[in-house]
Amino acid sequence: MDAGLLEQMLIGALLALSVYLPLRCGQLSLATPGFFAIGGTVAALLSTRIPSFAGTGATSPLPALLLEMTLGGLLAALLALAIGGTVLRLRGIYLAIATIALVEILRVITLNLSFTGGALGIFGIPQPFATASGYAGFTLVLLALVCWLCARLEQLRLGRAMAAIRDDELAAACVGIDTAQVKLQAFVLSALLAGLTGVLAAHFLNSWNAKVGSFDASITTLAFVVFGGSRTWLGPVIGGLVLTALPELLRPVGDLRLIVFGLVILLGPVLFPQGLITPQRLQGLGPWVAGLGQQLRGRVPGPWRR
Amino acid sequence: MQLIQLLLNGLSLGAVYALFALGYTLVFSVLGVINFSHGAVFTLGAYFTYLLIGGQAGANGLLAGLQLPVALPFALALPLAGLASALVALLIERVAFRPLRQRGADSLLALISSLGAGVILVNLIQLLMGAESYAIPIGTLGTLPAALSFGGAQVRTVQVLLLAISLLLLLLLSVWLEGSRSGKALQAVSEDPVTAQLLGIDSDGMIRLAFGISGFLAGVSGGLVGLSVSIAGPYFGISYGLKALGVLVLGGLGSVPGAMLGGLIIGLAEAFVPAEWSGWKDAVAYGFLFLILVLRPQGLLGKPLGTKV
Repeated sequence: MDAGLLEQMLIGALLALSVYLPLRCGQLSLATPGFFAIGGTVAALLSTRIPSFAGTGATSPLPALLLEMTLGGLLAALLALAIGGTVLRLRGIYLAIATIALVEILRVITLNLSFTGGALGIFGIPQPFATASGYAGFTLVLLALVCWLCARLEQLRLGRAMAAIRDDELAAACVGIDTAQVKLQAFVLSALLAGLTGVLAAHFLNSWNAKVGSFDASITTLAFVVFGGSRTWLGPVIGGLVLTALPELLRPVGDLRLIVFGLVILLGPVLFPQGLITPQRLQGLGPWVAGLGQQLRGRVPGPWRR
Repeated sequence: MQLIQLLLNGLSLGAVYALFALGYTLVFSVLGVINFSHGAVFTLGAYFTYLLIGGQAGANGLLAGLQLPVALPFALALPLAGLASALVALLIERVAFRPLRQRGADSLLALISSLGAGVILVNLIQLLMGAESYAIPIGTLGTLPAALSFGGAQVRTVQVLLLAISLLLLLLLSVWLEGSRSGKALQAVSEDPVTAQLLGIDSDGMIRLAFGISGFLAGVSGGLVGLSVSIAGPYFGISYGLKALGVLVLGGLGSVPGAMLGGLIIGLAEAFVPAEWSGWKDAVAYGFLFLILVLRPQGLLGKPLGTKV
């Protein structure tokens, strides 16, 4: 497979996990592309303006990339922390619309500030890896790490509190879970992940502009999660990988490819309302997968589970 | 003088926003879900209008050079384009909403499937008509002058026309919703579809009606904006769709007078953004939207949001 496509798919999977985290506690946040854009802008600015970030060799130094990822992720997380308290009081579709507004405001700001390159954006971002395979290898390790953390999360107090809030926020509050705090933590984690993914994407794409974080991206990343299934961490990963690859794989059908892509997004929820990957479906695949399914589920479902 | 001009521009823009946002409101009030294909239907309405007045398809689409054998006057083309858009909205309801509703699926899913329908529509337009922009020539308005004079201020006739048509439709819609049997039935369904059904109201029929009217409004507002600022390609409805979402939340989701008030506020606010700041114009609607959600989540005229136990 083409390593460039693989890299795009891996970035799609990371973004899908970023949408999945708030959704795990029932919060439909579409802010991921906004935080993704912040990370990318941080990377583009640092690596094109500060010589030591670009390095002197053929490729920019790896520690610089790691530092950018830390800074980009932290900046996104700080913004999430700052607005999360107010925004997360909103529920359901209101939260979704508020986060769309946030993404659009960030886009307009990036478009109009001169140091972010305006409508054209920033070009010639230095490359920490010489080949697409280098990027794909690095991102694969990152994705594996994030997946492991997500799987661990389901065993931890925070993960269980998140699941409890998703099932019934009022009941969760009644048993002593600080729901506002847990929702905020999920939101900040989501922003952190989107921010550092943005840093990687900016280097990989070589240029960065305001268009990257737009309403389209909000909805596409949400489609990853809904298509893959939002009950386990594996669902968003599969959704992100498949839906990012699809338009490319459909290149042979030429002009029809985006129409077919639309059909898939249209029919996905109709045919698989729970998404492609559900704990039940995993259990149907045999004992080994069933074990994985149990682990993914995180806990034994009780009779209260909807 | 300048003030009157700005005021009229803002009002006419706001009235079109309101018209467009009402389409969202109608569907939201009966189904509780945002129909993300609404912006694509708006685009479609603009293209239908363009073709019906005898416009020619550009060179880049599959329909290159196509011209309908008739060239209708704008006054006839606009409602016809609205009707065609309504039919498309009904089709979207059939394939993207009804199957999910029948299974009692999460309303979040309809958000995604309607988006899929929107993606299909926009790309179908691009395939057939190409990505170029089209302008609805002002000559389609017949003998109307290009500009009118109000107390010394010059105002484009198109803006006045936009305002008049939008206000007329808004008025008709309000009268229908409040005064007629079917309008009240629609309100009953939006309160509670199951109870409405038990009381003998055809809930499914009302949902279809809401989609039909919503599609008509989207098509007409698309045609009007196409006339006023030209059709900037297949994706031009999306930004209007987002702004209409802002209008909607500003006024209060599901509130008809709220959508009108929200439209006027955002339209006026945008018109008063000075030209040298025009790049920030788009942020006005979203800034309002964000503020209102944080300060008063139910919108200006919406009902308070309660906690359901």
